[in-house]
Amino acid sequence: MSGTTRTRPGPADPAEAKRCASWIVAVAATQDREAFAQLFAHFAPRVKAYMFRFGGNSENAEELAQEAMMQVWRKAHLFDPQKAAASTWIFTIARNLRIDRFRQRKHIEVDDSDPTLIIDDSPLADEIVDRDEHAVLVKSAMEELPADQKVVVELSFFEDLSHSEIAEQLDIPLGTVKSRLRLALTKLRGGLEGVA
Amino acid sequence: MNIKHHPTDQTLMDYASGKLSQAMELLVATHMTLCPKCREKVAEFEALGGAALETANVMSMDAHALDHVMAMIERETANENVVFREMSSTRRVAVGESITGSAIPSVPRPLADLLPDNVLSLEDIPWKSLAPGVKHYQLKSIESKGTVRLMKIAPGVSIPDHGHHGHEMTLLLKGSYIDEIGRFRAGDVADLGNDVDHQPIADTAEECICLIATDAPMKFNRLLPKLLQPFIGI
Repeated sequence: MSGTTRTRPGPADPAEAKRCASWIVAVAATQDREAFAQLFAHFAPRVKAYMFRFGGNSENAEELAQEAMMQVWRKAHLFDPQKAAASTWIFTIARNLRIDRFRQRKHIEVDDSDPTLIIDDSPLADEIVDRDEHAVLVKSAMEELPADQKVVVELSFFEDLSHSEIAEQLDIPLGTVKSRLRLALTKLRGGLEGVA
Repeated sequence: MNIKHHPTDQTLMDYASGKLSQAMELLVATHMTLCPKCREKVAEFEALGGAALETANVMSMDAHALDHVMAMIERETANENVVFREMSSTRRVAVGESITGSAIPSVPRPLADLLPDNVLSLEDIPWKSLAPGVKHYQLKSIESKGTVRLMKIAPGVSIPDHGHHGHEMTLLLKGSYIDEIGRFRAGDVADLGNDVDHQPIADTAEECICLIATDAPMKFNRLLPKLLQPFIGI
């Protein structure tokens, strides 16, 4: 029976995040089914929970999670480990599929091949960010947030609620939602600064 | 491009989490095309989304989910191989044509995608006169929530003092204007909440073209009677 929720730990260190990234690369390079099965085991239940929170129906969430994982297979060749961690990339696939299905439109994005695209030519831009390390830091910074801030961040990403709806749901004033979110963002950014 | 005014972090986070109206999303993606800093910030917020995916609860999949997905992938791959073999010769011609035939567009792709096909630059937009010195072009309505339009404002013309009911963003595409907040040039975004009153003036000899997205379409109608008695600033 699907529909039971429980917490399962995500990658705790960069090595694990890198393993997730290498699975996507293997799917792209050699249509590696074993790697895909690993990705599926890790991400499909997470994407299903994500979809469930927007759709509220476990059958629908199951179908969308399967569709998202099919896109992971199909789009694996577009994954660039220098640009995003596996969890980030799969989050954007799930987000775009959700907007496509629930709002019947495409998420409007920057086209990297757009001739009008302006590239950062400052020296800092050349610095190579290790996206997997970064993803792990963001995750632990998020886990360290006080519960009241964490829930606001989660509701921001996991439910289609405006700030005033979040305020209503948590039964707190709108100003409190905004200040908790601002505090959380400051902390998340502050937590990352030491490493960049 | 020296961009000084950006969407707020909150707006960029809402873009990354996929919560903005389509009108706002269009404006943010157009700005991001011109602004590497905001692209990087959005990448950070998307990493936050990835972290949320990792830390949130999970829901177990159906027992045969993986088999089912693999079967679908196999079916799809089989079909694609056939199609690919049939199409590969014609496809090569099409790619060659597009390389030689296309003009370099001056409108960022997210915006260009919503303009008529024959519009290659901001000059080609089929403007409609709104008031003396003010022209506009309403983009094909996309989602019912929110509106998005281009405005062209003659030099020296001021948009009468107006408040904001709901979220409004303006992206400057050409020229510049000045208001109580500061000076805005091409690429700059004014990201205004409910509580801001401002009175922008196109402040150079050049006309000013901007993209305006709003989640509250009513407000603009109230502005219209005021626009019909414009005064010339500067």
